[in-house]
Amino acid sequence: MNTMNYLFAAYMAIWILLALYLFSIHSREKKLRDEVERLKGILDKVE
Amino acid sequence: MKVLLQHRVDILLFILLFAGMSFALYMALIGAPTEKTMGDIQRIFYFHVPAAITGLTAFALNFVASLMYVFRKNRWWDSLALSSAEIGILFFCMLLITGPIWAKPVWFVWWTWSPRLTSSLVLCLLYAVYLLIRKSFEDPDRKAMVAAVFGIVAFADAPLVWFSIRWWRDIHPSPMLETGNLDPSMRPAFYTCMAAFLVLFLFLVRRRFYLEQMRNRIEWIYRRTETNRMKGILQ
Amino acid sequence: MLFFGIVVLVIFNFSLGSLHDTIRPAVPGILWVAFAFSGTLGLNRLFAAEKENGCLQGLLMIPADRGAIYLGKMLASFFFMLIAEAVIFIIGLVLFNLTVWAEIPYLVLVFVIGTLGFTAVGTLLSAISVNTKLREVLLPLILFPVILPILINAVEATDIILNASDYGATNLPGTSSLPEGLKLPLTIMSSFTVIFGTISYLLFERVLEE
Repeated sequence: MNTMNYLFAAYMAIWILLALYLFSIHSREKKLRDEVERLKGILDKVE
Repeated sequence: MKVLLQHRVDILLFILLFAGMSFALYMALIGAPTEKTMGDIQRIFYFHVPAAITGLTAFALNFVASLMYVFRKNRWWDSLALSSAEIGILFFCMLLITGPIWAKPVWFVWWTWSPRLTSSLVLCLLYAVYLLIRKSFEDPDRKAMVAAVFGIVAFADAPLVWFSIRWWRDIHPSPMLETGNLDPSMRPAFYTCMAAFLVLFLFLVRRRFYLEQMRNRIEWIYRRTETNRMKGILQ
Repeated sequence: MLFFGIVVLVIFNFSLGSLHDTIRPAVPGILWVAFAFSGTLGLNRLFAAEKENGCLQGLLMIPADRGAIYLGKMLASFFFMLIAEAVIFIIGLVLFNLTVWAEIPYLVLVFVIGTLGFTAVGTLLSAISVNTKLREVLLPLILFPVILPILINAVEATDIILNASDYGATNLPGTSSLPEGLKLPLTIMSSFTVIFGTISYLLFERVLEE
């Protein structure tokens, strides 16, 4: 049935959008954590 | 996965989210009755409308947070404003994509410039511009204040989105939630999906807010080390 | 500012040239696009002088109510834009062969309310954009989404007035009551103008302070 294709497309769209956003948050968070680690390392060296 | 879940609340929310979304999916695709005229395509409704309501809630949260920032100047509110704006845009993207997908087989067009569709698009654009304005300022306090002002102005369009189907004749279906016109057999599915989306909203806002707090703290560190004594240490 | 508006009119005439006589329904839209673009130009220069000479701080040090600065700037841009609109409109009358004697009062009403709303929020946004790296490029970006509700309703109202015969309205010329179709656009325009004006008046100083 053609309408089922559209239904599938709609639900896929929602999931994909969600997945992209969660991935974006995750990668941003990883970058920040790496930054924190780097800063910690420098401070340890200074002390 | 340790990165994702920090506090007990988040873990609880995630479990609730997973369960809620699964149940919502079941209700929307299987538990709900098939609609008479449109057939199965109508099931998009169970995710389309909650996305709209959640999006508007997100923008309302942004409005409140912006207002609070203007009065209190506490950056906590600014982080909340940014988080809710981003998430509002996310839900509105869901809305503006599922809408045309639903419209194509039913109205035979992808898009029409009816009041509700136009004002929804404008609202989404407005908050995209909100994010753009934030990028144009360097100083965090300036950025927060200007963004807060713009957030307050931008919310003026939101009532227009909500009431547009009441004030104009529109190809978009007329209001049924407030007037109680929603068919009783569809209500369980709808309420389930609405609840699931709200849990999703809470989960996402918390995550984004936490990210923003972390970013602010690191930026604070950098600013602290900009004094002459500390310069060069972080290079 | 004026010149730019006229240029916009001419450009539209060329881009829609194939329509010729049937261009009449598009005229309200064309007019308001011309108004909006020239208005934006005017708003761009609103704070440029202060910014260039570093006088923005000076403005804040005036021992007067900060809101007065906003009102001053807004009224200035309002009057300039209104004058530009009048001239652009008259030239538009000539270029598009319109006759609009009886409808002038309604048109004035629509133009005034629309311009008021435009400059009310435009002044605030101009103050925002003048302080950024992007300067003038930012203003159209942030202004147009905000102004769209007012713009859309202004075009609708102007359309109803100019093309009244298409709407079957026979009571337009010379009657004291507004035609039915005008009430909604005008209400929305006015409410937005009031809301924008109030918000801008109250929040203006926050935008300028460092």
